[in-house]
Amino acid sequence: MDFVVFTQQVINGLVNGMAYVLIATGLTLIFGVLRIVNFAHGEFYMLGAFFTYYVMSMLGLDYISAALIATGLTAAVGILANVLFFWPLRKEHEFTILLSSLGLALLLTNGGEVVFGADPKYVASPFSDEIVEWGDLIVTQQRLVVFAVGVVVLIALYLFIKNSSMGKMMRATAQNAEGAALTGINIRRVHAWTFALACGLAAVAGALVGPTAMIYPTVGSWAVLKGFIVVIMGGLGSIPGALVGGLALGVIESLGGGYISLGFAEAIGYAIIIIVLLWRPQGLFGTAKKA
Amino acid sequence: MANKILPFIALAVLAILPLLTGSTYLHHLLVLWMLYALLALSLNIIVGYLGELTFGHAAFFGIGAYAAAILGMDYGLPGLPALLFAGFIAGVFGLVIGYVALRIVGPQFAILTLGFGSIIYTVTNYWVDVTRGPMGISNIPPLSFGPEWLTFSTAQEYYYVALACVVIFAYACYALVHSRTGRAFIATRENPNLASSLGIDIFHMKLLGFVVATVVAGIGGALYAHYVKVITPELMGLQYMSALIIMVIVGGRGTIAGPIIGALIYVGLLELLRPLGAMRLVIFAALLIASVIFLPGGIVSLWRRYVEQPVLRKSATPQPDARREIAP
Repeated sequence: MDFVVFTQQVINGLVNGMAYVLIATGLTLIFGVLRIVNFAHGEFYMLGAFFTYYVMSMLGLDYISAALIATGLTAAVGILANVLFFWPLRKEHEFTILLSSLGLALLLTNGGEVVFGADPKYVASPFSDEIVEWGDLIVTQQRLVVFAVGVVVLIALYLFIKNSSMGKMMRATAQNAEGAALTGINIRRVHAWTFALACGLAAVAGALVGPTAMIYPTVGSWAVLKGFIVVIMGGLGSIPGALVGGLALGVIESLGGGYISLGFAEAIGYAIIIIVLLWRPQGLFGTAKKA
Repeated sequence: MANKILPFIALAVLAILPLLTGSTYLHHLLVLWMLYALLALSLNIIVGYLGELTFGHAAFFGIGAYAAAILGMDYGLPGLPALLFAGFIAGVFGLVIGYVALRIVGPQFAILTLGFGSIIYTVTNYWVDVTRGPMGISNIPPLSFGPEWLTFSTAQEYYYVALACVVIFAYACYALVHSRTGRAFIATRENPNLASSLGIDIFHMKLLGFVVATVVAGIGGALYAHYVKVITPELMGLQYMSALIIMVIVGGRGTIAGPIIGALIYVGLLELLRPLGAMRLVIFAALLIASVIFLPGGIVSLWRRYVEQPVLRKSATPQPDARREIAP
C-alpha cells in the first residue's frame, strides 16, 4: 500500500467528513433540543449553496461575504419553516411532524427546481484554483477552507451552547421541554434559535462544498442521506456523535472509494449503519427507543 | 347497511370502467392507478396498521420489478411463477431488513429504512453485470401464463390483472383487520406497552406485517416491469417513495379505500397538471402538507365526517351523549 496515496485519501476523507459533520450537527441539534427529525434538512444545504451562487452573480459580491449572507438568508428561511411547519405541529405525534417535514423537503426541492432551474450550477470560489503542497500531498485551498471553517464553526457552536444564556435554555429544553417552559424559558424563542442555528450550519456546509462540486436542486436529498447516516451512526441527538461519525464516514468512504470501488463506497456508509445498529441500536453516543 | 353494498358497487364500476372508453391513453392511466393502488395498499399495512413510517418501500417495488425482469429475460420465466418468485424475493429482503430495522421505532426506524432503501438503490445502480446499472433493463417480455391467449399485451388486459390483485389484496386487508391478528396489529399501533402486556409479541407482529407488505410490493413491481417493459434504478428513488407516501396519507391511512383513492388522486393530478412541468410536484408537496396539517385522516375521513356521522358535525363540540346514540 502506497503511503502517500493512503494519506491523500485520508485527507480527502476528512474534508468530506467535515461537511458531513456540519450537516449532521444541525440535524442532531434539532432532534436533540426539539425532538424533531427534520427530513427537509438537506434542502437547507441546497439553499445555502444556491443563495451563495445567486448573491455572488446578482449582487456581484465576493465569495466570503456571499457565503455569509447566504448563511443568514438560509437561517431566516429556517425560522420561517419553523413558524409555518414545525411550531404549529409541536404537540402532534412525531409521525405527523416527520411527514410534514417530508412535505417541506419536496416543496423546497421542487420549488428550487422551478426557481433555480434544473441544470447544475457552479459556485466560483477564489480558493478553488489554488493548490497547497506538502511533499507529495496535494490539497486545494478550498478543501483546507472547508476543514478550517468547519473546525471554527464547531468550536463557536460548542461555546455558544455551553456558555450563552440561549445555549443554556436550549440544553434545558433538551432535557425536559415542559419543565423548561415552567421555569419561564420562552420555548418559542428556543425553537426559532435552534432552527436558525441548524439551518445556518447546513447552509455553511452548502456554501463551502458548493465550489468543490456542481450544485443542483436535488442535491438536498444527498445531503440529508449523509446526515442521517452520520446521526444514526453517532446517535441521534448527540453532537460528539455527529463529529466522530461524520469524520469517520468521510474517511471510510474515501478509503472504500479508493481501494474497493467508487460505486460501492456509497453503499459502505449504509452498511456501517447496519453493523453499528446491530451492535448498539441507539448509535455510538446516543439513546433510542426500542421496540 | 350502505357500507356493506358500497364495495360491491365500487367493484362493479371498476370492472366496467375500461369498457367505457376505447382510448389506450386512458387505459394506461387506469393500469397505473391499479398498480399504484396495490403498492399504496401494501405501504398502508406498515404506515396505517403498524403505525410506523417507512422510507424504504419503493426498494421492494424495485426488487420485485428487477426479479421479474431478470427471471423473464435471462431464465425465460415470464408467467405466474416469476410473479410469485418476485414476491418471494422481495419478501426475503423484507424479512432480513424488517428483522434488523424493526428493533427500533419512531423516527429512527424511518431513517433506517431510508438507509436500507438507499443501499438497494445504490447496489442496483452499480451492479452493472446483473442490473445493467443506470441504463436499466428494457424489452422485458410481457406477462404470460403459458399459451398464446394467456399472454397479456394490451393495457386493458393488464388493468384486469392489476384490478384482480388489488381486489384480492384489499379483501385480504379487510379480513386481516377483522381477524384476531388484525386486532393485535391495531393494539400494537395504539399502545405497544399495553399490547405486549396482553401477551402480543409486538416484534413478530410487526415483522409479519412488514414481510406481507414487502411481498405485495414485490408482486406489484413484477406486474409493473411486465407492463411498462423498461425499468431503471430510478424506480427505487426518493421520487417514487414520496409518491407512495403521498397516496397513502392524502387518501387516508389505516383504511382500505384510502390508498386506492389516494392512488387515483395522484395519477389523475399528475396527468392533469402535466402542462405545469416542475410546478406540479410543488403542488403535490403542498397537498401532502395540507393533508398532514388539516386532514390527518385523509380524504376518506371526509366521508366518515359528512356521510356516516352527520349529527356529530352539526354539534359544534361533539357531545359524548351524541356519540353514544350513533354508535351501534
